[in-house]
Amino acid sequence: MIEVRGLNAGYGKLQILFGIDAHVEPHKITTIVGPNGSGKSTFLKSLFGLNDIYSGQIIYKGQDITRVPPYEKVRMKIAYLPQTGNVFVNLTVEENLKIAGYVLDKARVKERIDVALSVFPELKKILKRKANTLSGGQRQFLAMGMALVREAEFLMLDEPTAQLSPKLAEVIFQKIIEMRDQFKLTILLVEQNAKRALEVSDNGYMFVSGKVAFAGGAKELLEHEKFEEYFLGISGS
Amino acid sequence: MVLEGAIIYSNLLVLLALGLTLTYITTNVPNFAQGSFAIVGSYIAVTLLRIFHIHPYFSLPFLLIAGAIVGFSTYLILKPLVARRADVEILMIATLAIDLILLGTIGAYSEILSKIVGFTQAKFVFSQLDFSIFGIKGIFFVSIAVTLLLLFCLYLLLYKTKFGTALRASMENPDLAETMGINVEQTRAFSWALSGALAAVAGGLLPFMQEIVPMTGDIIIISIFASSIVGGLTHITGALVGGYIIGLSESLITYYLSSIFGTGFLVYGKVVALVIMIITLLFVPSGIMGINWGKRPKK
Repeated sequence: MIEVRGLNAGYGKLQILFGIDAHVEPHKITTIVGPNGSGKSTFLKSLFGLNDIYSGQIIYKGQDITRVPPYEKVRMKIAYLPQTGNVFVNLTVEENLKIAGYVLDKARVKERIDVALSVFPELKKILKRKANTLSGGQRQFLAMGMALVREAEFLMLDEPTAQLSPKLAEVIFQKIIEMRDQFKLTILLVEQNAKRALEVSDNGYMFVSGKVAFAGGAKELLEHEKFEEYFLGISGS
Repeated sequence: MVLEGAIIYSNLLVLLALGLTLTYITTNVPNFAQGSFAIVGSYIAVTLLRIFHIHPYFSLPFLLIAGAIVGFSTYLILKPLVARRADVEILMIATLAIDLILLGTIGAYSEILSKIVGFTQAKFVFSQLDFSIFGIKGIFFVSIAVTLLLLFCLYLLLYKTKFGTALRASMENPDLAETMGINVEQTRAFSWALSGALAAVAGGLLPFMQEIVPMTGDIIIISIFASSIVGGLTHITGALVGGYIIGLSESLITYYLSSIFGTGFLVYGKVVALVIMIITLLFVPSGIMGINWGKRPKK
């Protein structure tokens, strides 16, 4: 689905990622774990084109998208959900869902909103509410619902369970699995909640200091001898 | 009589402040050329009047288009600075430069126009062309009607169209808007065109209430900024509230003071606007609409 070769990226003069090679398999959940500041979130931003790429290549479905601007990537059915500010707080839930289908025609948007509401029925009762009145969980549901509206095939999620209760985090993980199975989405996940994320994932990457420290199956990574060492580092931070 | 003038003035300030707030929200540019945008409108209106004998009230639709072109062109000049996220000071200085260029151009143009029509256009008024109903000036009704109509259209555009929702989305969070496939650049350019259009219309109406000289824009810019800041620079509705507060107080307080202390006080109208602006900045820096009126997001 997506192939990354020798990616060097960062913000202005501050390089964060150093020669990343990665591969995301279609219709699977791939999770990136790693300590704080290891470049996980920057990696997602780079794939979507929100920061500076110095060199390297990003290939999506056989096409080089390294220099494609974000709004073009949306038309290629790539979606990116930032960790915070992933909904428009001054718009209502309904307006948010509609704007998510900005590149689609009107009839299609309606269809897709129905699809999103079937996966996130919690949103049905609050359609007219402004997003700044929603709880953290509701916001995350809305953001993920918006990704469904825009017919994403490749979905990048940056710490969707951050600041949510363990119970709610589990609901989010179940929704992610549902999105993979029901809509055949390819999902790339960045998570602090590393252990639980890898348990629901197919593949896993571990980033350390802007480099790939491990690449392979999610189970393998969980059982990797170094995992505990890094994981303790993560949960301690 | 005084109230009549104050309301006319407030209506025009609302149109001007709306444009200023709009481009500030979308591109973070405090546009010091907004006043001169209006005077460009005034001079286009006087040209249409003198050469083509079109009554200024009928040239308003044309001013909308011409103003949009002026606004859009200004944005093209500023675009490289906006794109590299230049500091607000640099953007401010850039608009001051644009303002000076406009001022010079308008001044030179007024001389050329004077030559063509055979009498000076360095200053002019339209009040002799106005109608009146029961002793109330036509501009009173026209300025209210034009402002209401434009506000209504703006409301429809922002809240009832897909592009309007996209525009509001880009204002709130341009990065996120981009992730929705919205061409944020387009919404920025549009906001500048809209701002220029509103200013030019205000400029077409302004000569009905006061004398226009090429410098007029640089005098009213004070009141425009005061309106936007008092209302709240980050809220479109702020321009509405601020325009009326500044417009009414500037006219009424000055009139009141001059009736006590003599007509010398009429010159200090802008001082009132500035004093209100300073009080706002000291006590409610985010402006009236920036105050969180008891609304708290639920956890």
